[in-house]
Amino acid sequence: MSPDAHPAGGLHQLGTGALRQRLARGGLHLDLGLVRLRVRADEPSFADQLCEVYRHFTPTEEPTWSDLHVSLLRATGVRRWLRPQVRFISDSRMEFDPFPADHALPLLEWGVNWLIGRRMNDVLLLHAGTLERDGRALVMPALPGSGKSTLSAALSLRGWRLLSDEFGAFDPRAGAFRAVLKPVALKNESIDVIRRFEPGAEIGPSFIKTRKGTVAHLAPSFEAVSRRHVTALPGMLVLPRWQAGSATVLEPVPPQVAFTSLAFNAFNYAVQGADGFRAVMALVRGMPAWRLQYSDLEDATARLLERWHEQVPLDSDPRP
Amino acid sequence: MTGPVTPPPQLAWLEALREPASALEWDLARWEHVIRVARRLRLLGRLASGVCAAGMLPRLPAQAARHLQAELRYATWRSDGLAWVLERLPDMLGEVTYPLVLLKGAAYMGQGLAIGRGRLPSDVDILVPREHIADAQARLLGAGWEEAALDAHDQRYYREWSHEVAPMRHPLHGLELDLHHNILPPVARTHVDASLLLASLQASNWPHWQVLAPADQVLHSAAHLFHDSELRDRLRDLVDLDGLLRHFGTAPGFWDGLVARASVLGLHESLTLALHFCSRWLATPVPPEVMAAARARGLSRAKALWLHPLLEATLWPADPDRLPPRRQALAAQTLLVRHHLGRMPLSLLLPHLWHKLRPGAGARADADVAADAPAR
Repeated sequence: MSPDAHPAGGLHQLGTGALRQRLARGGLHLDLGLVRLRVRADEPSFADQLCEVYRHFTPTEEPTWSDLHVSLLRATGVRRWLRPQVRFISDSRMEFDPFPADHALPLLEWGVNWLIGRRMNDVLLLHAGTLERDGRALVMPALPGSGKSTLSAALSLRGWRLLSDEFGAFDPRAGAFRAVLKPVALKNESIDVIRRFEPGAEIGPSFIKTRKGTVAHLAPSFEAVSRRHVTALPGMLVLPRWQAGSATVLEPVPPQVAFTSLAFNAFNYAVQGADGFRAVMALVRGMPAWRLQYSDLEDATARLLERWHEQVPLDSDPRP
Repeated sequence: MTGPVTPPPQLAWLEALREPASALEWDLARWEHVIRVARRLRLLGRLASGVCAAGMLPRLPAQAARHLQAELRYATWRSDGLAWVLERLPDMLGEVTYPLVLLKGAAYMGQGLAIGRGRLPSDVDILVPREHIADAQARLLGAGWEEAALDAHDQRYYREWSHEVAPMRHPLHGLELDLHHNILPPVARTHVDASLLLASLQASNWPHWQVLAPADQVLHSAAHLFHDSELRDRLRDLVDLDGLLRHFGTAPGFWDGLVARASVLGLHESLTLALHFCSRWLATPVPPEVMAAARARGLSRAKALWLHPLLEATLWPADPDRLPPRRQALAAQTLLVRHHLGRMPLSLLLPHLWHKLRPGAGARADADVAADAPAR
């Protein structure tokens, strides 16, 4: 993405110095789609990390509202000098154990996901990678070993618009999925897998020895950022499974399996009560469901697109 | 107290918990602030419940309304789960010959009090007579509740020095249950005669469950707050007390008996502190003669001189954009020392603190925190 594609100037153009200043004072305001986030930080290494992976976001000027308020602050006392740490603080409460000071970005990503999952109960939050095409959503629930983040990243680099690699944020009133747009968290081998898959992928610094191993983040594209308020109707449900050496297999999934894969992998399905049940039922009825086994990303993404064109209605305005 | 007191402006938003219409004037910045503070104090669900019941949600800024709706949903889910468990618990315990008493939050819900609506419950507290606590515990374990794994010291702590058995958790729904035989530890300097509480129980809305008498509920709530080790972020306890006093205060005879009951139970200091902070911070209507009588018995002028500022500094809600001020931590530490001295004689306290503070003792406490921490 060339820099002049940003009429208003992305985070990358703001410059680290200005960004650091903003983080240290009133805070940086980022619009993630579902929520508006305000970040403050006194950890100097954080501005560079943020610049890399939120590069296409334009900070909200003169913000009137933030849903989430987060501070990343260096631990005080001896900790400031001896193995320095950074703390995640929201509304003056420290929610988790501190991270090493140079791991502020993974701490932000992890902590903000937790805040969204706990607080944003006005929508049904499935634990799923979600992408959009033709106005409709491809939903990939996070089953163990599914590699939903890797596949989400790959699809987002092949013309699909990323809504989220973590949340399927379904708004029952709109009957549509909303974007919770954040960098895609790639872990361990999948970092190099995505680098090989798309050498131009904008991947930020690698953080080694986090609680999930090595983590690096893929920056959402300018297009995904600029369309983060465009919702997507239910399109197709895919249960991915990465299997070493496997040929690409796509087979239909019975509705009861589709139901459990959505309901029991959600952040707040139980919290939604009967509304949650109705929403998941409607999703299962409205979306064809497939199981995808794969080892080759190129082949898997191609086969998915093929199936998509056969299955998903392509009317110009899919809204009822 | 003479005439109505105006609460400090920083706490004025608390009025909306009783009078939701007062929130209609709030601008966006105000809403942003209140949502952050109320969430931290576990009062957001309560605020949301009042606002929704008054049909005000569509008239509020959309940015604020969704947070209220979201939190109300969460609080409703938690409290529905708690009610579900409590409605079934007596049947699971089988025929018992002794009273089963709901305490605190569960009791407010079981009586349908306003302070129980939209409440975010943490755990369930129930009380049985001391001579039956082993039986009640055995029945709970038989019904699938599980005790936390305790070392020998902690077992002895609960058996001999505490007013409750070790907390139990049910693997199915994860609710924590605290089974009490008294409202304060038996070794505490303030000794409460539990038989007096048991002699004046009242029915709740839930079959087989009883609650303490109105005055005893107020005194328990006050004692629970002012005898506790941690008073930071505890403004909700004052809001509870305010709600109890406003609710029961309209019943004939309530105020007349309150101070006398506090003296009988030995809880006059807690009552005096509760009335002091409720009337100053929440404009709770306390009859002047009751306030005077409580002060005369409850707290010497000299003691109030150092205790009030410590409590003020600790109970005062933190600015959501700042870390709590150092003086709050200092005040909280001082109150902690006072708490421990009031809870146990030094001959018990010093070995207990040694056991808790020795190297390696923190591991279990961290595990407790992790239980409430995010799954992902």
